[in-house]
Formats: sequence, structure tokens, C-alpha cells
Amino acid sequence: MSQDIHEYLAEFDDIPGTRVYTTKRARAGYWLNQFAMSLMKAENRKKWLADEAAYLEDWPMTDEQKQAVLDRDYNRLLDLGGNIYFLAKIFSTDGLSFVQAVSTMSGMSEEDYKAMMMAGGRSPEGLRSIKEGR
Amino acid sequence: MARITAGVATSHVPLLGVGIDQGKMDDPYFKPIYEGYEWSKKWIAEEKPDVIILVYNDHASAFDMNLIPTFAIGCADEFQPADEGWGPRPVPPVKNHADMAWHIAQSLILDEFDMTIINQMDVDHGLTVPLSLLYGQPEAWPVKVIPLAVNVVTYPPPSGNRCWMLGEAIARAVESFEEDLNVQIWGTGGMSHQLQGPRAGLINAEWDQKFLDDLTADPERLRHIPHIEYLRETGSEGIEMVMWLIMRGALGPNIKELHRHFHVPASNTAVGHIVLEKEA
Repeated sequence: MSQDIHEYLAEFDDIPGTRVYTTKRARAGYWLNQFAMSLMKAENRKKWLADEAAYLEDWPMTDEQKQAVLDRDYNRLLDLGGNIYFLAKIFSTDGLSFVQAVSTMSGMSEEDYKAMMMAGGRSPEGLRSIKEGR
Repeated sequence: MARITAGVATSHVPLLGVGIDQGKMDDPYFKPIYEGYEWSKKWIAEEKPDVIILVYNDHASAFDMNLIPTFAIGCADEFQPADEGWGPRPVPPVKNHADMAWHIAQSLILDEFDMTIINQMDVDHGLTVPLSLLYGQPEAWPVKVIPLAVNVVTYPPPSGNRCWMLGEAIARAVESFEEDLNVQIWGTGGMSHQLQGPRAGLINAEWDQKFLDDLTADPERLRHIPHIEYLRETGSEGIEMVMWLIMRGALGPNIKELHRHFHVPASNTAVGHIVLEKEA
């Protein structure tokens, strides 16, 4: 029951507003994610909070990745190979919850996002497929 | 001989650990979530399983991007709760049945499942939140736990069918372990949720409910759900539900649903929980 890898991957680009964490993204984001992972250690969090730009100097990330980290632009970070569970180390260090951080990617205010979740979440209607518009 | 008697599935939302750790059980936001576990807490106190094979995924806690094992089994005597960036959860260390874990590891490899064996590993909310939901806040966990970690973060994760077959192989491995033990298998994660991108917050209660139904009514359908359907219908993180199929595959054909709970939301997530008993 083997599946064609190219067809398998091509379908991922048809999902609206979603970056699937493929091996291509994992390769591009390796150091970005490893940097984020370093914030698991209290001593590193302290250094990071003292001087973010200096802390990033030590990591072989692209300039775009570094800037997006400094900007806390999470959608951009996803595009540049970041994975949400790794990026979580950055927003946790900022004292943000998953709901707070995730809402920044949704284009909604935190209040509106929370209200949407309390009302049952975002409907999949119209958000399943770009091509098929369903 | 060891025998699998029941399966449990539950979401493992980190916020549900926070709610318990901070004593917010009666808070109006949390109360309807935890109430759905009351039945299960009484049930497990009577069942007293000796060992739980706990299927979960690590969330960039024990595994970074350096190592990405598809299926990994914890074989050390003990695992500490992970510091996920805000200090470790105040929960007891997880004690393994290491002889059984090694037995399962070797049996699975001989059965053509090429497991990664892990000794030193901290366990994150994926493993400890389900324990808290079913056991509350004991001084020590009253059960041995064999951690079985699945990659559902970097694509491709294992297929639902492969997970099912791993479950079947786990059942064979348990049955060939000589000690007389009451063993449960738990599948964790899910249900619908998306933690990233403009589509974040997606919930598909209808799809989730059908998934819960078909764990008993039509498990063959679940087994063959492709990744793209999880992604489209249940959000990018809904893929965690393939881990429930390891649990379901291990239970065999004759099972009975004992209890079910579904609630939206916990944080960004639809909470699902089910208890399945294996019939003789």
C-alpha cells in the first residue's frame, strides 16, 4: 500500500492557512528549532532575556530567521522552518500561554480568538481545501 | 501470563495539567472538563491495573530535531517529569516495569517493528497529563508505566494502519510475558486542534464524535484514514489521533465501550476521552 511521496506532499499545500511540518521545513528550520529548544534550560532563558540579539549571535540561523524571532512573527517563523512545539519555548519564555501565542497567528485579537474557542472553535467549513473550496 | 484488559484514550492538553497542579478543578472553565473523568477515576481505582503501556508523543521535550524516532519505547527504571520551559510539573516520577518494557522491545523487533530503545528520557505533558486525569494527585503513581513515544510532529508520522499493526504486535508481546499482570494500553493526544497558522483554532466536533463512535462501530474505517484527512478535517495537530489506533489495534476485535467524554474547548483543543474494555 505504498504511497507516492510527491503526491502525498503536494496535498499539504492545498490546506488553507496551514504549514505542515515536512522534512523540507525541518531541514530549513533545524537551527531555529534547536535555538528555541535551548530555552528549555533556566540558565539559557536568563541569558536570552538579558540580550536577545547577542544570544542569537551564537546560532547559525539565517538573518531572516533571527529577525522573525526578534519580531515574534510566528507565521513567518513557520514559513522559515519553525515548528510550533519548538517555538513554544520562545513564547513560554515570554510568559505567553498557547492560546495567547496561537491567537497571534490567527489574525484575530486574543479576546476574539478566545471567544471563538469558547463558542466551539473555528469551523472547518470552507477551510479544508483551497482547490475544491470546501 | 500478562494480559491486556482495557484501553483508554484521552487528550493530553497541557492546560489540563496546569488546572490540576494549580487546584483549579472547580473553576467554571475547567469543571465540565474534569467532570467527564470522574467515572474513569472510580473505574481505574477498582480495576487497579499493574502496568499501563502509555502511547504518547513528545513535544520537543526529550527529543529535539537531532533525533526523531518514529516509535520509541522507554526501558529505564524511572522517568522524571520534563521541564518544558516553565519548570517540571509537580508530579511523581514515572516508574517503569523495565523487564516488561525490554521484553516488549525485543518482541516487537523480532515481530518486524524496528523500535528505538530509550533509557534516559524525561517525560512531558503528553504522558503525565493523562495520568493526572485518571489518578489525580497521588504521592506516587499507583501503577507502572511503559512509555511508548510516537513521532507525530515531523511529517510523515506513521500511518494509522501501521499504528494499528503495532498495537496488534504489542498485544502479542504482552501475552508472551510470563508474569501475571493486568495491563492496560492508553492512546493519548487529539482530538481536533490546530496550533499554528491563520487556520489555528480549528475544531471539528462532528468528525471527532464519529471517530469515537467508530472505535467500536467501524474500526476498519479508522485504520485507513489517510494523513491528509486528519489535516483537512481535524487541524494540523489532530494527527495525534493515530496514536489512539495503537491502543485500539492492541485490544482485538471484541470490545465494549464503557465510558465517553467530549468537551470543547480546553485551550485550543477538543477534549476527547473513551474507556474500552476487552471482552473475553
